[in-house]
Amino acid sequence: MTLLRGKGLGLEVVLAGRDFAEALLELEAKLASQPGFYRGTEAVAVYGDAEPSAEQADALRRVLEGGGITLKGFTAATVVDGAEFERRRAMRPRREVTLSDEARSLVADFAGARADIAQRRKRGEESVRRADLVATRTATPIVAPPALTIVEPPPSTLYHVGTLRGGQSLQQVGNIVVVGDVNPGAELIASGDIVVFGRLGGVAHAGAQGDATARVYALDLSATQLRIASCIAADAGERTGAAGPEAAFVRDGRILVAALEKLPHPEAQGAQS
Amino acid sequence: MHEVQPEPVPVAQKAKRGRAIVITSGKGGVGKTTTTANLGHALAARGCSVALIDADVGLRNLDIVLGLESRVKHNLLDVLDGTVELDDAIVRDKHNASLVLLAASQTREKDEVDTEKMKALVERMREQYDYVIIDCPAGIEGGFKNAVVGADEAIVVCTPEVSAVRDVDRVVGLLGNKFRPQLIVNRLRPALVKKGKMLSVEDVNAILRLPLLGVIGDEPEIIVTTNRGEPIALRKDGATAAAYHAIAAKIAGEDVAAPTVEIKASGFFGRLGAMFGGAK
Amino acid sequence: MSGRRIVVTSGKGGVGKTTTTANLGATLAKRGHRVILIDADIGLRNLDLVLGLEKRIVFDVVEVAEGRCQLRQALIKDKRFGELLSILPAAQTRDKDAITEEQFAGIVKQAAEISDYVFIDCPAGIEAGFRNAIAGADEAIVVTTPEVSAIRDADRVIGKVAEKNIPIRLIVNRLRPEMVRTGDMLSVEDVCEILSAELIGVIPDDEEVIDTTNRGEPIVLDEANKLRVVYDKIARRLEGELVPFTNFDNQGFFGRLLGVLKAG
Repeated sequence: MTLLRGKGLGLEVVLAGRDFAEALLELEAKLASQPGFYRGTEAVAVYGDAEPSAEQADALRRVLEGGGITLKGFTAATVVDGAEFERRRAMRPRREVTLSDEARSLVADFAGARADIAQRRKRGEESVRRADLVATRTATPIVAPPALTIVEPPPSTLYHVGTLRGGQSLQQVGNIVVVGDVNPGAELIASGDIVVFGRLGGVAHAGAQGDATARVYALDLSATQLRIASCIAADAGERTGAAGPEAAFVRDGRILVAALEKLPHPEAQGAQS
Repeated sequence: MHEVQPEPVPVAQKAKRGRAIVITSGKGGVGKTTTTANLGHALAARGCSVALIDADVGLRNLDIVLGLESRVKHNLLDVLDGTVELDDAIVRDKHNASLVLLAASQTREKDEVDTEKMKALVERMREQYDYVIIDCPAGIEGGFKNAVVGADEAIVVCTPEVSAVRDVDRVVGLLGNKFRPQLIVNRLRPALVKKGKMLSVEDVNAILRLPLLGVIGDEPEIIVTTNRGEPIALRKDGATAAAYHAIAAKIAGEDVAAPTVEIKASGFFGRLGAMFGGAK
Repeated sequence: MSGRRIVVTSGKGGVGKTTTTANLGATLAKRGHRVILIDADIGLRNLDLVLGLEKRIVFDVVEVAEGRCQLRQALIKDKRFGELLSILPAAQTRDKDAITEEQFAGIVKQAAEISDYVFIDCPAGIEAGFRNAIAGADEAIVVTTPEVSAIRDADRVIGKVAEKNIPIRLIVNRLRPEMVRTGDMLSVEDVCEILSAELIGVIPDDEEVIDTTNRGEPIVLDEANKLRVVYDKIARRLEGELVPFTNFDNQGFFGRLLGVLKAG
């Protein structure tokens, strides 16, 4: 029988048939595992053969209070024989559970599914355990995305035609040019510049190896986030989509965005960072 | 509302290999299963033979939506394992005999599906049916990959919500160049769109940039029909039933029909028009 | 003592796991608890969107697992809640196999050491993503709608979660009392009877919720939102309070709320 159970609006602590000290330890552990869960409820302790002593009652009261439960009192458990049990059960008002048709069909359906599993077990089939499957699969090592290593030959430009979808990623030592849109959720990482002949909506990281003179150009610069070298900028305000072609660059450690006409010529930027 | 008259299919045409279409989205709860069931019925009503496959192993629902759960004795995995013949596993629909279902298992797992066998099964079924439509599970894991493997056409279903659009976009990217997916926008509420409290079809397709197959409104009736297992496409009237029949007609028309809604794209390629038409 | 680690799952997609995780987490933060939300849906991340934090993502859970950054660096603090609400976003360009169950569980435990509540937003389904999400949890909340397909999936998920011997609680989302009355939708009692899990919340259907998630604005911050009360009750039940359930069936949710306000 469970140690702690609901009864009416409150709780019952069932000491009957248990060693008191063990029950107390179990109760403490249970209350500690769900702190605050029973807070504010009242409890009655049910004892079996011997009424608890004053010290035991105090100890119990303290443990319960630790869980926010008030001990109302003690009562003796009565051993009920078979006939008496039946009599009491017959007297209890019947609670009709009315299930809707859908609920009934579902209950039957689940019974069917469980019967299916039971049948498989009887036939000696193990419902396939995940552990077995793991054993037959070869372990796939966790692969980190390729680090951009510095290569000696001049970096090339990756030229991609088409829309880049969310979750797709282009990475290049060199520049990246996309003719198409870059959707939110996509990312572009380049050690050089990034040029999007379309709408840039995802994350673009130019100068990914530390080149703060790198730039991000787009016909529609609506990136979720822009990164150049180690600077990061998120679109703070409401930029309307009608801004026209723009570029992002770093000045004084911050990322700035300017319309194409206003953009300082790349050669004029020099070694600014 | 006009009635769709089923067109008898001349026997000679049956020699042609059927089409295998996967219905997918990435995001759960957008209406893949409901769409599969209703499109199946709409195509069957046109006189085509249609097989529906529930690829959501372990979380099967297509049978409930069709009202056939009590008739399902065997499932997809039984057929793939070879313990049961395909003909014994398929369940004929109670309203239309040219529509059949191959249900998923409720007690087994998606990683028990052998990809090659799944592909072979879909190939086999294409010899027998005009359409094989595969109901894809949510997500982009193994279940998704197995659902897609046998198909050569895809329909993505998207609701007008930012999360759904993101997920569908991801899936379109994963479908890759083999597919030219078409889009169904589901659960649109024009009143909310007008109030600015819901994305419009244009908003959705500004990101997805897919050929639009159809738009379905959000009727509370749909929940009733799926709970009761009576797909709404069976009805003779109502906007939703008509929408599904129109989509079926487009699918059967065998050309990528022009979208019924003007796409005012905010990306660049809509504006540049003919030069960069359609998404890649 | 370390924080509680609660996974929010469902089986069926689209029933409101992410919305619930975000709003419940935000509500508890508003009530003064330190809350960390972890998005376990690698490749299809949405938790950041729903809270309007996507622009601030620098690192994600996979990078933490790979050791490329510390957990604290990856956590994004939602400034609207002081220091109390943070999220650990999922990776978008990776797959569910980019992280193992052990790694995920380790991160969850780490997060629990610096918070009172950790909520794990579980992906749809019962595949690897789901297994990762439940790996570090010591409690579960199952979200379902009163529809037959959702309940079926919830039952499957409850079966799987029960193998871990952790407490499982139920939230019934998107209830439409008028449809229950006409017999076109299962009632909360029906759902509880079928799933036999402890009910911790009933959330009525509200067509404006989608707008709040589109705009990234948690409901608890909007005093005019009718669902604020509902999430508050769920938060309090989670804290251990015995809070009576609103009876939506009688006058409909709005009628009932008005009644409460009039009584003062």
